[in-house]
Amino acid sequence: MQISTLIYLVRRVINAVVTLLLLIFLIFVLVHTIAPTPVALARIYCGSPHCPPAELQVIIQQYGLSLPLPVQFAHYVVNIFHGNFGTDTLYKVPELQVIGELLPITLELVITGLIFAVIIGLFTGSLAAANRNNPVDYTVKAVYLVTWSAPVFLVGFILQLFLAYELKLLPPSGLANPTLGNPSPVTGYPYLSVVPQPLQGWLSGLVRAITSPPLIAAAVDGDWRFFVSAVHHLVLPALAIAITSFGVVTRLTRASMIDALDRDYVKLSFMKGLSKNRVVYGTAFRNAVIPIITLIALLFGFSTAGAVVIEDIFQYHGMGYFTVQAIYNLDYIAILAITIIVGISVIAANLVADLLYGWADPRVRLE
Amino acid sequence: MGVKEIVKKFLGYRGTIPTATVVKEGRLSGYRFYLDYLIKDKVAAVALAIITLFTAWSVVEGTLQYVGYATRHRALGWALLPSNPIALNFAASLHPPSLSHFPVYIFGTNFSGESILSRLLYAAPKDALAAYLVVFSGIIIGMLVGTFAGYFGGWADEVLMRVTDAFLALPGLVLAIALSVLLGSGYNSVLISLILIWWPTYARFFRAQALSLKSRGFVEASKLSGQNSLMIILRHIFPNSVDPVIAYAALDFGNVILTYSTLAFLGIGIQPPYPEWGSMSSNGLPYFPQNWWWSIIPGLVIMTVVVCFTLIGDRMQDLIGGRLTY
Repeated sequence: MQISTLIYLVRRVINAVVTLLLLIFLIFVLVHTIAPTPVALARIYCGSPHCPPAELQVIIQQYGLSLPLPVQFAHYVVNIFHGNFGTDTLYKVPELQVIGELLPITLELVITGLIFAVIIGLFTGSLAAANRNNPVDYTVKAVYLVTWSAPVFLVGFILQLFLAYELKLLPPSGLANPTLGNPSPVTGYPYLSVVPQPLQGWLSGLVRAITSPPLIAAAVDGDWRFFVSAVHHLVLPALAIAITSFGVVTRLTRASMIDALDRDYVKLSFMKGLSKNRVVYGTAFRNAVIPIITLIALLFGFSTAGAVVIEDIFQYHGMGYFTVQAIYNLDYIAILAITIIVGISVIAANLVADLLYGWADPRVRLE
Repeated sequence: MGVKEIVKKFLGYRGTIPTATVVKEGRLSGYRFYLDYLIKDKVAAVALAIITLFTAWSVVEGTLQYVGYATRHRALGWALLPSNPIALNFAASLHPPSLSHFPVYIFGTNFSGESILSRLLYAAPKDALAAYLVVFSGIIIGMLVGTFAGYFGGWADEVLMRVTDAFLALPGLVLAIALSVLLGSGYNSVLISLILIWWPTYARFFRAQALSLKSRGFVEASKLSGQNSLMIILRHIFPNSVDPVIAYAALDFGNVILTYSTLAFLGIGIQPPYPEWGSMSSNGLPYFPQNWWWSIIPGLVIMTVVVCFTLIGDRMQDLIGGRLTY
């Protein structure tokens, strides 16, 4: 590994950690601005506006809410880095455990949606660039202006109405066919005895989280009928996410394709007598695709937010659905935990995008 | 006229697009310049007409609602509507869209027999107020914070950049959910949380403008002639950085409406029985797909308004030339 690559890597990671700390600080400040006194804070932790005063005092003691603010902030950060987000007021289990199992389900949905979005976006974007300033270009532009202006729930409803209820192509809701029975969870970790004792609980939690999305669970269990059903149930919500977010990819692809098509090496390819399709989709496309990587983090955040609504409409029981439940139950602890975990995911996506960009375009690393 | 011409006529740009230099020449061009251009473009003209109608209706209806609220004559709020938007009428429950009793049933009714059309019209001022208030507050806060940070630089600038980084690390909707739930449900808390999350983009934008403007000749000249910093900012930096932000703001009105109605869809904001575009759509969820109009028509109305804002913003960005950087 070259030294410049290493410096690039380290700088990006430090940047991500600093942003994360700032995000935690921001949320801490906002919560303390909204609830400035220990009693008001305790009400948030209690999860009910009608908490008896005695219980409030217990909570203040338990969470140290009357301590000086810097001490509280230190506790808050340490707790978050230990994965201690508080106890869910509804399920009465640690928040990390609930979200740990629900987040991968949402990630599966969001990542599938993003893959669809990038495919649609790259295709329409290069189509528009190759037919610049003619009806194809204008039609593509009209389509993406409408789709990115559509509220995500409208897209969900329309897909459900036409593809699921009218044409009966795909199932309208749920994670998988409920009559199939869930794939059996991964049991008996043979590798657990190898790792030291304190890590075992953590590791088994991690394995449970990774195997919680329906596709992975079915594949690990070898239950292929469930797998097919899960794929069928995944397509519509993922498509809804893709439709609301592909416009950004189209727009950037079009711009960078137009830029690439004006370059000398593309002109050379034309002069060599290569066909238009070969030049557009072979030569120009390969270089125009690189800037799309920078969109990954942006799209990821946008789609994760959209997944909250999509999961509500499609009864897709992941973290988004859990968020909606938390809003209805005024479960503040859950909402704060979700906010921070989504923040961590988006910052991680940012980091991945930065590293990918550095890999795809070596010039970036030298800056 | 062939298909190509029709498509070009309705989707393409009409006339010649003025080059960026025209705008950059000075502020002479102003709003008349944009307006001229937008009216010449047929699609943009339609969008502008719809937005004008939406805004004008919101002002009239919003004033009536406010006067009705202040004078305790709530009925004034629905004096102009085809029917009372919050009166239960179970005889007309779940009436599909039809032309009978025009225009009351044109968009159908919900479970309580309330006309969807009346409820949509009644809720319009809330969306308009959210869009305009949030964007303009964002611009004002962003302008003050961003310009000063960019102009003076130093640690204030550093702090600002890091704070906006933290804000922009999260998707706006997620932060808005957390803030408005913490603030307690209600229209005001949604507005406050939207304003809180909306200003950082503008702050970064104005900072970039101030950074590039402060080394320009006319600012340097003003500095040399002994003008104090405050006057330089007021006379030179502010006026010159506002123009490019207009195009982005036009697009942003639509974004605010989308976020606001998504929050309403999730049950945050105005509480029943008062209607709200997003929450009307989610209230129809249990009755979907048999009573599709309840969920879909409010969504289509939101989309129409947002598409119009997006179109205008998009055309204005073309006009200014290139995407904005912030």
